[in-house]
Amino acid sequence: MKQIVKFKVNGMEEEKAVHTHHTLLEVLRAEFKLFGAREGCGIGMCGACTVLLDGRPTSSCLLLAPLAEGKEILTIEGLAEHGELHPIQQAFIDHNAFQCAYCTSGFILSTKSLLAENPAPTPEQIRAYLAGNLCRCGSYVKIQEAVLDAAARIGHLAENPAARK
Amino acid sequence: MSVVGDTLSMLDAAERVSGRINYVLNFELPGMLVGKILRSPFPHARLITIDASRAAGVEGVAAVLTRDDFGAAKPSSGKYGRIFRDQTVVAFEKVRFVGDPVAAVAAANEDIAEEALSLIKTEYEEIAPVFNEEEALKHAAPLVHDPRPEQQPMFGQLIQDLPGGSNVCSHFKLRRGDVEQGFREADLVFEDVFHSPAAQHVPLEPHVTVAQYFQSKLTIWTSTQMPHAIRSQMAELFSLPLARVRVIVETLGGGFGSKGSLRLEPITSFLSLKSNRPVKITLKREEEFVTVCKHPATIRMKTGVTKDGLLVARQVSADFNTGAYSDIGPIVARNGGSAMSGPYRIPHVLIDSRAVWTNVVPAGALRGFGVPQAVWAYESQMDMIAERLGLDPVEFRRKNLLRDGDLFATGEKLEGMHYDELLDRAAASVNWTARDARWREQVANKKGPLCRGKGLALVIKATITPSTSAAVLKLNEDGSLNVLTSSVELGQGAKTVLAQIAAQAMQVPFASVSVSDPDTDLTPYDQQTSSSRTTFSMGGAIGKAAEDLRQQLLEKAAELLEASANDLVLAQGRVEARGSPRRSLSYGEIVLRSSQGNIVGRGAFTTRGGLDLETGQGIGSVHWHQGAIGCEVEVDAETGKVRVLHLTPSVFAGRVVNPRLCELQLEGSAIFGFGQALFEEMVYDEHGQVMNQNLGDYNVPSFDDIPWKLSPWALEHQTSDELHGIGETLLPPVMAAIGNAVYNAVGARIRDLPISAERVLRELARA
Repeated sequence: MKQIVKFKVNGMEEEKAVHTHHTLLEVLRAEFKLFGAREGCGIGMCGACTVLLDGRPTSSCLLLAPLAEGKEILTIEGLAEHGELHPIQQAFIDHNAFQCAYCTSGFILSTKSLLAENPAPTPEQIRAYLAGNLCRCGSYVKIQEAVLDAAARIGHLAENPAARK
Repeated sequence: MSVVGDTLSMLDAAERVSGRINYVLNFELPGMLVGKILRSPFPHARLITIDASRAAGVEGVAAVLTRDDFGAAKPSSGKYGRIFRDQTVVAFEKVRFVGDPVAAVAAANEDIAEEALSLIKTEYEEIAPVFNEEEALKHAAPLVHDPRPEQQPMFGQLIQDLPGGSNVCSHFKLRRGDVEQGFREADLVFEDVFHSPAAQHVPLEPHVTVAQYFQSKLTIWTSTQMPHAIRSQMAELFSLPLARVRVIVETLGGGFGSKGSLRLEPITSFLSLKSNRPVKITLKREEEFVTVCKHPATIRMKTGVTKDGLLVARQVSADFNTGAYSDIGPIVARNGGSAMSGPYRIPHVLIDSRAVWTNVVPAGALRGFGVPQAVWAYESQMDMIAERLGLDPVEFRRKNLLRDGDLFATGEKLEGMHYDELLDRAAASVNWTARDARWREQVANKKGPLCRGKGLALVIKATITPSTSAAVLKLNEDGSLNVLTSSVELGQGAKTVLAQIAAQAMQVPFASVSVSDPDTDLTPYDQQTSSSRTTFSMGGAIGKAAEDLRQQLLEKAAELLEASANDLVLAQGRVEARGSPRRSLSYGEIVLRSSQGNIVGRGAFTTRGGLDLETGQGIGSVHWHQGAIGCEVEVDAETGKVRVLHLTPSVFAGRVVNPRLCELQLEGSAIFGFGQALFEEMVYDEHGQVMNQNLGDYNVPSFDDIPWKLSPWALEHQTSDELHGIGETLLPPVMAAIGNAVYNAVGARIRDLPISAERVLRELARA
């Protein structure tokens, strides 16, 4: 059975006819051709399919697509503004906080949510918050460095709006 | 100009953080169908009937693949296997494990494919199964393969064929000295049994393949670490010349050895042939669990020592459970087998290492390739022997370390040994002192449930030898450089490291170098991206291609500058006359004026070696990967819970090309080993069904689990140009280092991995 759903993805509203039993992840990949969210486990354990739903990290593999109606969906593709990488993305590059990068979209979006809740997290808080995102390549040490650095960069930008290009 | 040795960001870092990196998972073709696989519910059964007629009639189903599509009267036998032809595209007469592919469909979408699968009628007759490697070797055990499958001729020099009538798939033998004489010379002989369980690779990207058979050409986009091996096996299955099979690999979302042998390529390709459409199969995580795993292994190790702690003799009987199909298991058993003497001088060694067929999930290559199972045994036993001799385990190891000029168990003379430094580093990382060796006395003095302990372990590991890599460097008319290589980028940073090597060798800016993805129509041969060989082997091939390219540049420049090639030098993208830099030409000018379009350099890098089939003597490895782990743990004696506080992975790295990518490999290996040490284990029920085939029940290390302090260290020889692979070395010793630390903490000696809280408590109750 199909249903017309009005999605708002990365700031753009678009209607799609979707199967009611399909997940948001399936729709993002098949209909929107957004490939940054990826299935790793299919049961919400690995975090590779994380998107932000009204700012909150959500496993898009578990959410039926029609239930996303009326919510602001942010995927990794929507994070860069005006072609400029987000400071979290830049920090991940500068610390090489990834290997295969299959998990990276999820880590970056979870980090965005973490820093929105807690602009200056401690290493312990970072570990606890990001425990739902798995990196099988084991880049955790660098991810932690990148998140600490990203927090500092965003804090700096907040205090010095002029530093923003 | 130096690029090798710099921490540079990955070439495609921006794509990686913006979700734009292109995995095969994303690949689509017009008219592409979705493939799905029907799997066996039984561990061992005869397939009496299979009727797919109703499935074929479902609207939207384009092809159904069953055993009726193969055989003598059909274009393809449907039989394959890298070493033994023991696998079929779908089940023929029998199914051999729970999850064995029985049939497949290609349909317009996943829902239709699932519906069609449910309409395939099958009738089975169950046969007694055998799951355990030791049970499988017993007389009258059910035979998994009967008659014995045919061996691929090209593996005849690596693996001895055996008579049929048993589940022994392969038998590696190593004979050095006289082991019986050695045990007579020994003052004490210790015999212990160690077990490693099946474990999963869990690359977050599952296996995925897109295949298109069109006009007698098969094109496959697939998540593989071995594009050329896939091409040759698919060419054989399809009876096509190699040139008419094209294998293309995009970047992988991790591999760890799982993406090596043929996986989805045969089923997907035959579905494409039959439907005349492109087909894509993407495995679900639960299917990953029944596709490939780490070899469970039972290792009996008998070691003779003198009273003052010199190793004299070692006898090993190792059984690697290769599951229902051999895959690369015989080579795993050989590689693990030949490593059993560890980084120690032992004059008398006798090793029997078998790969054994059973009715469980096929086992294949996993980061470390048989060596993790070996190190778990020999480094656990080293500490057990040290305690029983009353020796400090660090000093006991030091007495026996392999040093330059020593002979390995394979009889080859070793050079470039660095174990003294590595052992010192591991010991220093945990502040090891002689007091730490007072074992039980120390344990008895501990108060309260939380006990700390220290442990360490060493590893010696071969890299696949002989092996061949080839590279092509294409210099463009603007002086930029294309590196054509079949090395697979699986997150290890291969492209970046190879670009650094090429930039340095050609004296061009890093930013002007581009490294290809593998495409067997376009990129030259490479054996495989595995065995920690890419930096060394493909780096070597690029070095040779650069020599060729430099020579051509010098000759062309000599003509153009009317100088002798001997008087010219290459510097920063230009060829200039020695002593008069104003007489010079940029690379781009030379290419343009050569009227060739491009100047192309070619290089191949080959290593030689091999082991005798009867004695295991010969050259096992072109050079040896050497590493050490030091760790400190905290064990809760009331709950058995182990926490690793501090882990120091140390490796000999030769010259490091990219320090940060190197660190990531060391940390990644250590964390991978940490998971296998403490909790990773595929659990089977009594019917051979995997009980924890999802990431809820099968845990891999998360941010919350890992050691708080992880301090990787690469021993570098910056004056030398020797490159060493470092991708696997530090996984194998982690388990024994943690096991030794747990014993050091609470006196519980774990012989069966993983070191779960239950096992620790059980041992504590026994102690």
